[in-house]
Amino acid sequence: MIEVLNFFLNSLVFPGLLFASLVGLLYIGVDRKVTAHMQNRIGPPIWQEYLDFGKLMGKEDITPRAAQSVLFNAAPLIALGAVVTVMLLLPVASPQPALTAVADLIVIIYLLNIPAICLMIGGYSSGGPFGSVGAARHAVQLFGYEFAFIVSIIAVIVRVGSLDISAVVGYQAQRGWILLDWRLVPALIAMFIGAQGKLLRVPFDIPEAESEIVHGPLTEYSGPKLAIWRLVYDIETLVIAGFIVALFLGGPVTHTIGGAQVPGVVDFLIKTFLIVLVTTVVRNIMARLRIDQALKFYWTFGAFLAILSLVFVLVVP
Amino acid sequence: MTFVLPVGPQHPSLKEPEFFRFEVKGEEIVDVDIRLGYAHRGIEEAFSRRNYKHNVYLAERICGICNVVHSTTYCQTIEQLAGIEPPERAKYIRTIIMELERIHSHLLWLGVAAHQIGFDTLFMLAWRDREEVMDMRELISGGRVHSATNTIGGVRRNVKLEHIPEMLRRLDKLEKSTGYYADLWGSDRTILARCSKVGVLSKDDAVKFCAVGPVARASNLKLDIRRNDPYGTYEALSFDVVTESEGDVWARGTVRLREILESIRIVRQALHELPSGPLRVPVELKIPPNETLERTEAPRGELVYYARSNGTETPERIRVRTPTYGNFASMKSMFIGGTVAEIPIVMWSIDPCFGCNDRATILDARTGKVSVVNFKQLKRWRR
Repeated sequence: MIEVLNFFLNSLVFPGLLFASLVGLLYIGVDRKVTAHMQNRIGPPIWQEYLDFGKLMGKEDITPRAAQSVLFNAAPLIALGAVVTVMLLLPVASPQPALTAVADLIVIIYLLNIPAICLMIGGYSSGGPFGSVGAARHAVQLFGYEFAFIVSIIAVIVRVGSLDISAVVGYQAQRGWILLDWRLVPALIAMFIGAQGKLLRVPFDIPEAESEIVHGPLTEYSGPKLAIWRLVYDIETLVIAGFIVALFLGGPVTHTIGGAQVPGVVDFLIKTFLIVLVTTVVRNIMARLRIDQALKFYWTFGAFLAILSLVFVLVVP
Repeated sequence: MTFVLPVGPQHPSLKEPEFFRFEVKGEEIVDVDIRLGYAHRGIEEAFSRRNYKHNVYLAERICGICNVVHSTTYCQTIEQLAGIEPPERAKYIRTIIMELERIHSHLLWLGVAAHQIGFDTLFMLAWRDREEVMDMRELISGGRVHSATNTIGGVRRNVKLEHIPEMLRRLDKLEKSTGYYADLWGSDRTILARCSKVGVLSKDDAVKFCAVGPVARASNLKLDIRRNDPYGTYEALSFDVVTESEGDVWARGTVRLREILESIRIVRQALHELPSGPLRVPVELKIPPNETLERTEAPRGELVYYARSNGTETPERIRVRTPTYGNFASMKSMFIGGTVAEIPIVMWSIDPCFGCNDRATILDARTGKVSVVNFKQLKRWRR
């Protein structure tokens, strides 16, 4: 009984849906504020995302006739399920994830791809040219960033010698952060480049380039369904930041400052916040690339860095 | 298999309604069909129903961004028609405001171009510095966009002596920031990746399709009405006609950015050499039958006004040919062979102003059908 209750508590409250949404929406609010200041604007308040989400949720649910299908309606929900599940598999409050001994890094890699695939399905089933072009671009981009992303994860796995994420965190607690290991620094950079593409941020916001194809796959979405997509995007930002923290920045560490114990979740929040800030800065100092240029960049620079790291790890003891 | 990608009449990359029907094969553009007329307001007909004085305001409202050059060209046309010469000081003040307008138009272009390639930070910063120009124009005329300075026979507002130091200070600031943007435009890797070798218009094509303004100059055509057919005070002022040889979007941007620096030079000279004297001369508005053609260099290129008078206070006919219209023909050769991702930036690279452009379109209001009218039909309608 307790186990079942615990499972629901984990998936719906902490670190699942409620916690992830609150933090994710807040992070994107901060991201928008920082962007505004970098652009010499005042910008919206940092809680603007909550307001936007609430407003979209309260709107009428309209589906265009050409888009009426189970796929179109189910895509945002499946994506939301996938990102919340990843939250359960990440070490958030302690080195142990909420769901222990259920899944390893391979599953996380799979789950992290589901939002992108749902977005593509949503775009293709929306029945509009902007949705189709956006989905096609996303498919191409997926094959670009995913290689660099996965090879950098493999480099970490080889270094640690385990597929278990809590083992990766445990390894770092003993031997220091992987970030400080020079062999894996190229992998970290490749990981950031991959994350920038996964989160559709400039210079890789090609699938939803607003001046070219309106909003890409999301063009035909509106109201509550769009709100859920926003939520998925915001949680995904938090999840990928959390994933990088677990792999490279030592995961959540419990500190003791002046006798008082600071829980691991605070450490997690600070580290993920810093990673979100880095991606925010990058997205504000560049122009958007074209899809062929992005692909070329991923398969030369991104893949090169990731493979370099893997070779270092394998060759240099 | 090709499919149709509609861009417009409502689309985020268009600031005004116009319809572009792209045929795309995957990401590649195979064909493009441009349909104009969505912003038609019947202004040319309205010209021939108002008197010459009222038409100044109408000319100013053809385009918001380049309102001064429209009203200046209109006033110059009517002055030529009536055979009067505005005072020297008025010509200098017109030059100052027109050049400030060029700066503001080009900075606006830079901002929107940056937005089209997803560089929103540059967009915001360029528009922040554009405020300097707007403030300068406010100093002179009281209006940040619409200046309402011109009138037939001269100008209505003066550049006061106490404004000159303030304007010079703002020009210095502007020169510094524009220099920075010019550097950035030439060195930022993502900008180069998106703009260089994109939407190329060769010199031959530019000649063939009669490109005007910065589009022509970016294709290495030394075409500037200020130099080729000087009007106002431009003969007395020294400036370079900026050209680039690449003919791509990047070259069009570089031409515009370097032109801002030239415009700053011109404004400085005009402020230093500003002669004293009256602001305008009285005009008799009953103009005897006559006709004339006047052209000027608007920020977007050559602007042509044709006017015919008939002895009354209203013109019989005023025809306006805007630079955007002159550049539409060259657009197709810029697009074909490119990719969907290039559409916004290439479209914006001619700095289109559809509000200026759409004045003479035949539209069947009853059926809503768009049909091509051939010469025979046109002749039949004339009878």
